[in-house]
Amino acid sequence: MKLIFEKSIPGRVSFSLPDDLFEDIKIEDILPADFIEKDKKNLSEVSEVDVVRHFTKLSKYNYGVDDGLYPLGSCTMKYNPRINEKMAALNNFTKAHPFAPTELVQGSLEVMFELNKLLCEITGMDQFTMAPASGAHGELTGILIMRKYFLDQGQNRHKILIPDSAHGTNPASAAMGAFDVVEIKSNENGTVDIDALSKAMDEQTVGLMLTNPNTVGLYDEGIEQIEKIIHGKGGLLYYDGANLNASLGILRPGDTGFDIVHLNLHKTFSTPHGGGGPGSGVIGVKSNLIPYLPTPLVDFNPENNMYIFKEAGTKSIGMIRSFWGNFSVLVKTLCWILSLGPEHLYQASRNSIINANYVLTKLKDYYKPAYDRFCGHECTLTGREYKKYGIKTLQIAKRLMDYGYHPPTIYFPHFEPYADETIMIEPPESEGKEILDSFINVMIKISQEAKENPEILNSAPHVTPVSQTDDVLAVKQAILTYDDEIKNNDKLNYSDENINF
Amino acid sequence: MRYIPSTKEQQEEMLKAIGVTSFKQLIDSIPDSVKLKRKLNIPSALSEFELDDKISMISQKNVNFQKFKPLVGAGAYRHFIPEAQKALLQRQEFWTCYTPYQPELSQGTLQSMFEYQSYIARLTKMEVVVPSIFDGASASAEAILMSLRLTHKNKIIVSTLIHPHYLETIKTYLAPHNIIIEEISSENGLTSLEKLKQSIDNDTACILVQSPNFFGGIESIKTFSEIAHQKDILLIQVITESMSLGLLKSPGDMGADIVVGNTQSFGLELDFGGPHNAFLATRKKYIRQIPGRIAGETTDKNGKRCFVMTFRAREQDIRREKATSNICTNHNLNVIASNIYLSLMGTEGLYQYSLLNAKKAHYFEKKLLETGKFVTKYKYPYFNEFLITYKGKDMERLKKVLIDNGFVPPLLIQKFYSDTPLQNTLLFAITEIFSRNELDSICNLLSQ
Repeated sequence: MKLIFEKSIPGRVSFSLPDDLFEDIKIEDILPADFIEKDKKNLSEVSEVDVVRHFTKLSKYNYGVDDGLYPLGSCTMKYNPRINEKMAALNNFTKAHPFAPTELVQGSLEVMFELNKLLCEITGMDQFTMAPASGAHGELTGILIMRKYFLDQGQNRHKILIPDSAHGTNPASAAMGAFDVVEIKSNENGTVDIDALSKAMDEQTVGLMLTNPNTVGLYDEGIEQIEKIIHGKGGLLYYDGANLNASLGILRPGDTGFDIVHLNLHKTFSTPHGGGGPGSGVIGVKSNLIPYLPTPLVDFNPENNMYIFKEAGTKSIGMIRSFWGNFSVLVKTLCWILSLGPEHLYQASRNSIINANYVLTKLKDYYKPAYDRFCGHECTLTGREYKKYGIKTLQIAKRLMDYGYHPPTIYFPHFEPYADETIMIEPPESEGKEILDSFINVMIKISQEAKENPEILNSAPHVTPVSQTDDVLAVKQAILTYDDEIKNNDKLNYSDENINF
Repeated sequence: MRYIPSTKEQQEEMLKAIGVTSFKQLIDSIPDSVKLKRKLNIPSALSEFELDDKISMISQKNVNFQKFKPLVGAGAYRHFIPEAQKALLQRQEFWTCYTPYQPELSQGTLQSMFEYQSYIARLTKMEVVVPSIFDGASASAEAILMSLRLTHKNKIIVSTLIHPHYLETIKTYLAPHNIIIEEISSENGLTSLEKLKQSIDNDTACILVQSPNFFGGIESIKTFSEIAHQKDILLIQVITESMSLGLLKSPGDMGADIVVGNTQSFGLELDFGGPHNAFLATRKKYIRQIPGRIAGETTDKNGKRCFVMTFRAREQDIRREKATSNICTNHNLNVIASNIYLSLMGTEGLYQYSLLNAKKAHYFEKKLLETGKFVTKYKYPYFNEFLITYKGKDMERLKKVLIDNGFVPPLLIQKFYSDTPLQNTLLFAITEIFSRNELDSICNLLSQ
């Protein structure tokens, strides 16, 4: 498809101006010539119709949750309710300036205050900060809280334990906190090896970052021992909330001994993923860690019935972003929790667990599970038996596109001998049985094709706007802007004719 | 429940197919002692119309912000957002998808990232643009971490005239890393070049300066870059008001090595401070050390042009603790929002709008001075944001008059700078949304 720059025609516009352009003020009188660009910055010149058609067409080159099943493991691609979008888009919320005096933004502060209470009850924690912008940003916040907490105790702990099944963000966040990462191997059940953990945990170690259920989709049955080992050495337990969708009303991280949790509001709490964000990675802590939270927190003053911002005090790790949080995401989260209530929050987790186990049961004869046991809200299969037919797991994923599905997460988690060539499927509660049945049938069909007609997998996908992409060429060319492309025009191996309008 | 389609019967069928008689068997691996044995103590479910009522009521506890125009900016600016942009952003294909891991199903997102990278490269005159880091504050911290990786030095120099939240965030991010942070104070509303010259040494990795700065003043980036480059120091320019890029000289032309731009002004709502977005732009030679995701052009198997996420070998899902950053989910929908916004503005529109911002702000300052109630704080070049000192004593009254007449008051700057004499000094931001009549009437209000 053509780029917006290739549709540009000199003289076209899609903006409008008022009559009064303040022509009585001359730019040369108000700003020194040194600071002003001589020529206008060249962007593009298109009409409003051109823009609307361009982006409408671009949107059709995407696949979203509203198009169908999007079973990306560990991402919880559930339905994003329309009413929540409408509520977050109310003018009084969207046009509120972050530095408006608090008496003008009592509604916004109430949203943050009420959401904190609900999240505390759902997770068993004592206080949340709404500041972190994403899961990884929450992890960094949590890591910095752990660091500051131990420094205050006069302890210079420099190691952190992270299971081999953890998301890549865990070790990356730990490294941003200048901690040495000690990887804990999974045992034959796919969960934390208690002996290895016991040996690794010492008084030089701040604690453990754990996802529960973990990224293979398995609840850690040793959670009580894990808690004793970590706390026994004075460490802290950090909960990666990426997989909380398997726990609503079933178990609360706060009750299992976790000291710090982050929640991905864009996963469990239904806020949209936005093609990669914005989400929100709010952090909850137990009462002894509240003084370390980023500043400020929202509080309520009963004397005048006003919500206020409260500075977090001298122990706070400080600010981790500008302003207060990803506010519109918080509104959507509040809406989702209030729409479901206690009964349906539990039902959401219950159905996501049933869905994942159903897919696991139906597919395990075709794609060997990483671990043959019941799973949480996602199941991890492998495509390794198709290697002998010359099929990579990647091609199973690409072939799914031909049948109208977004592929599951592939090649993650990866740790041998159990979890390689992984296909991690997360069918959230917003998918009904008949959708899963069609997906299962397609997966089985693909497994047959892999044996009988591997070429059709290797050349997949066939019906998408583009076919298999050349990732190596992208790095080699390093064409990162339209101006790069213009410069390299004579070297490029495609012509204008095969670019659609 | 309308968001959970499977009926009770279907759920039973699935449990039966799984081979269990009850759901409880599926969660047997959770020790009984940690299971929640009661219902969550939260309000019972609301119907959609009850929810609509409840949340609308809460929103009305805010003032009517459609009418309440802010005279404050300070890192978040109320600009006009064209309706076509808002309508296009409603397309679910843009907002119900995730990170474009599968390029064949994500060309809309990827091409939009590429176009946006192209726009920002032209506005900043840089070569590589990371389209999305959460906001200007976190992107500033990431830029500094990048400069430390590139130089292997252990000291950074930061102007105190960067946004106070950005400075706080930088300190928070750097706390674990044993880095010396030297803060350069100001002189007449601009970062002191004298103090800067005294501070730089061979251990300095970078100088971070905001322009227009937090007081609104336009810094001489060219001079900064000349000073920095004499000692192989990287110059990072931060921009909170991206609208200024439509008029002011490009950071790249003036020698900046890394540019961080908060792009809330490019078609993003104020949203009480977030989610906004920021880009990080730099030179191609530094590409291996950039944080975050970037789109690049390639071809598919049939030779058709297409786009993918590229230079991925820096990222957390591949490099884990050796990654250049932990960033995964970013603010990518706001990349699309700003891409549409810039397409609608176009070459002429962005120029005209930024010109209007500068003219209206200067008109308003002149009118304020004419009331006799205000006095110039600093004589410095500024874009659409400026400091001015109120001669009266009663700041509370001034604030009340503005609020009573439907304006969000300007920022009292003193609270951020306890060691600078800034009593009764206000930071005003004036954008294209104010008409001449409105500006005149605000001056009338303040002259009484």
